[in-house]
Amino acid sequence: MTLATTAATGATTGQPQLVIDNVFKQFGEGPGSVIAIDNMSFDVKPGEFVSVIGPSGCGKSTLFNIIGGLLDEYAGNVLIERERIAGPHKAVGMVFQEESTFPWRNVIDNVAFPLELQGVNKSERLDRAHHFIDLVGLKGFEKLMPSALSGGMRQRVSIARTLVSGPQILLMDEPFAALDEQTRLLLGDKITQIQQDLNQTTLLITHNLTEAVQLSDRIVVMTYRPGRVKRIVNIDLPRPRTSDVVSSDAFGHYVAEIWSDLREEASRGMADTESVRRTAPRG
Amino acid sequence: MAATGQVKNPTATMGFAARRASDARSTNLIRIGLLLAIAGSWEALARSGLLFRDVVPSLFSISAAIWKLLGNPAFYANLQVTAWEIFASLAIGSGLGIAVGIILGANRFLGAAFEPYVYYLAPTPRIIFFPVMIMWFGVGIASKIALGALSCFFTVALSTAGGMREVDKVLIRVGRSFRATQWQMATKIYLPAMRAPVLNGIRLGFGTATVTALLAETKLSNQGLGFMIMQIYARFDMPSLYGLLIIVFILAGIGNLILGKVTGTSA
Ligand SMILES: Nc1ncnc2c1ncn2[C@@H]1O[C@H](COP(=O)(O)OP(=O)(O)O)[C@@H](O)[C@H]1O
Ligand SMILES: [Mg+2]
Repeated sequence: MTLATTAATGATTGQPQLVIDNVFKQFGEGPGSVIAIDNMSFDVKPGEFVSVIGPSGCGKSTLFNIIGGLLDEYAGNVLIERERIAGPHKAVGMVFQEESTFPWRNVIDNVAFPLELQGVNKSERLDRAHHFIDLVGLKGFEKLMPSALSGGMRQRVSIARTLVSGPQILLMDEPFAALDEQTRLLLGDKITQIQQDLNQTTLLITHNLTEAVQLSDRIVVMTYRPGRVKRIVNIDLPRPRTSDVVSSDAFGHYVAEIWSDLREEASRGMADTESVRRTAPRG
Repeated sequence: MAATGQVKNPTATMGFAARRASDARSTNLIRIGLLLAIAGSWEALARSGLLFRDVVPSLFSISAAIWKLLGNPAFYANLQVTAWEIFASLAIGSGLGIAVGIILGANRFLGAAFEPYVYYLAPTPRIIFFPVMIMWFGVGIASKIALGALSCFFTVALSTAGGMREVDKVLIRVGRSFRATQWQMATKIYLPAMRAPVLNGIRLGFGTATVTALLAETKLSNQGLGFMIMQIYARFDMPSLYGLLIIVFILAGIGNLILGKVTGTSA
């Protein structure tokens, strides 16, 4: 409760921790080029949970890679503590859309990976890894290989691996996209709980509306082609939250409100993919 | 939840292992059955008198010949020579193959420029380079090692380059996002990710090195198992010839099995 209050005050009065300032990204040159991100601006304050939502292909992963420092060539600025980032920043921890556990490492060695890179000694490494394995609800699975786990469990391993590195900003790209709805809701609960316990500043990238409303303090709605900020919506649902919030009236209003914006973009995206498919059939 | 996971998983793994074991048992039965069937038809053919007795000797004379070969010191001397040739070919060919494979795999330009050569040279029978190797390295074991290394090199280089290129891109991005150094990227991501394809390449390389070494020995040499085969052939001692072929077959199988174990346990 107290944590939630601090988070809320932090969100309203604190300095912006992450600033996206007029970011522009174009792939290719000339006629075949694609503007993936067109002058997007927004910020994420300390302790805040912000979601970026938009239909498939609108440039979300591109934005994710730029903020994570994995994509260097872009116009505009990504600022962390007022400094423009150059490459992956130590304050940012990334969770990828794709399956990203190391198949040759068991659960605990996967989670301890970032500590190994930092040269943390073995016993401390294992202690800290245990703590985060516990936090994502994988206690008892430490010695299993990723191949023995379900997709949802592997994604939790990835999340624990990123959390163990102690990022000030947790950056996630559709971490639940490949999961079924029940697992998604339960994992959402887990994320909310972790975010509240650690007062973790989080930027979640998603195409799932329910997920975004369930988890966020604010939602950045993106347009499709080029990717722009269409609207930023404050979600004033009470915290601490659980997945029960999904059945409340207020939740339904938010979903309906954002969906009316999103529908337009999503149908443009769909028309686009279909016309591409009709004119240039490629596998 | 954690408790059920702890209890449930070992049993699940055991069930899986048990199923695998019973699968292995039935494939073994089929294999043994096949061997018995071949041996039976062979013996029937040998006794039928349809073919010359000398061309298809009875299993008893072949067994006797194997027994005699196993007691012959010359066999062990030749075995040692061939084993050394194969080992040295494999070591040299794999070492160079891995190094070149990494360069081709890591560098898109070099890969595009040179890989076609490796690719098209790989299936050419290496034995055609044998005369060249004899001129360079003489008629002794050096020319066999060189030829074996050459054949092993192509296989290992191609599988290493392929393995390097197929390292899951997202794992590389994970490493970069955690700000791994170049050295950490190499040792903690590329190397473990490439282990399976490289070891598999070495295993295939062992096969080609063995074939090449034996073939070269049958062409021009004065020692080694290939040489011994030709000596026996010159005497037209069919039981010993078949006996030696069976021994070579089994030894190559054992070698392959050992390498397979190494690959299998690590992959
Ligand atoms: N490396 C690239 N080269 C060219 N075009 C790209 C590249 N990456 C993404 N794009 C294009 O940019 C647009 C946005 O892609 P992406 O950021 O992956 O969208 P999302 O994650 O929202 O589905 C898409 O039209 C995609 O085709
Ligand atoms: Mg994406």
